[in-house]
Amino acid sequence: MNYFQLFNIEVSFDVDLQQLSSNYQTLQKAVHPDKFAHASEQEQRIAVQKSAHINDAYQTLKNPLQRAQYILVQRGVEMPNEQHSFQDTSFLMRQMELREMLEDVRHSGDVDAALLEVQSVLSTEYIELSQIMRTQISENNAASNSAACDNLRKLKFYQKLNVEVDRLEDSLLDD
Amino acid sequence: MAYSEKVLDHYENPRNVGSMDKNDPSVATGMVGAPACGDVMKLQLKISDDGIIEDAKFKTYGCGSAIASSSLVTEWVKGKSIEEAGEIKNTAIAEELALPPVKIHCSILAEDAIKAAIEDYKSKQSK
Repeated sequence: MNYFQLFNIEVSFDVDLQQLSSNYQTLQKAVHPDKFAHASEQEQRIAVQKSAHINDAYQTLKNPLQRAQYILVQRGVEMPNEQHSFQDTSFLMRQMELREMLEDVRHSGDVDAALLEVQSVLSTEYIELSQIMRTQISENNAASNSAACDNLRKLKFYQKLNVEVDRLEDSLLDD
Repeated sequence: MAYSEKVLDHYENPRNVGSMDKNDPSVATGMVGAPACGDVMKLQLKISDDGIIEDAKFKTYGCGSAIASSSLVTEWVKGKSIEEAGEIKNTAIAEELALPPVKIHCSILAEDAIKAAIEDYKSKQSK
């Protein structure tokens, strides 16, 4: 049973997060340790394993990039090893610029405005790329799946940048 | 996880940080990235007419090991021919910096950056 079947939802990049969350709670209730307080050790162990599995499934489907990766892997798309370096020069040049932009925020005259600007640029580019990937995933043919895979790798660079933005925001609050 | 002394040295005093004009025909630019950790590395080599690397600059956004790997590479490639530079292996970088297994990919990134720069140079030469 795949993760989508587990939650009884359609295999799609578009997931109703509210429904996912409520189905998750229902499933977790059924395997809650309280229900197995008087059960055999083996039944308790199985319940714990099921609960962990449900949790893994939920975390995977909740996160858009993990969900995309899961769908592609389920389709048998060969994901390049994450450790393999990525060599799309113009994309990486842009990533460099975005990181430089983020680096300059701290030294800007109006730090708040500069941070907002970076966040807005990042969010625009992320949404644009993520929409392209969404279409490619729904097309579901060999070429579109492989293109989606490529865009997924690109989106991971944005994900990392967003972590850096959050870190910067936290450090600015501390100052 | 503790960084080795050599990593810390390169991290705190990175060698040859900077940029060159990527449109200069004698400048080779290698851009590589690692999706797993979001590291981005740019290595630029200034190459003489007889194929010797006269200068090297890098700019890396990433962890200490990625910065140290690229910093070390700029020191190593200077004075080498592009053929010699192309033979630098990630294992040598990892060994020199005493990188732990989880950071080996940083040295792979640095090796790939050299290769990407050499590719860029060759494609510029053939134009």
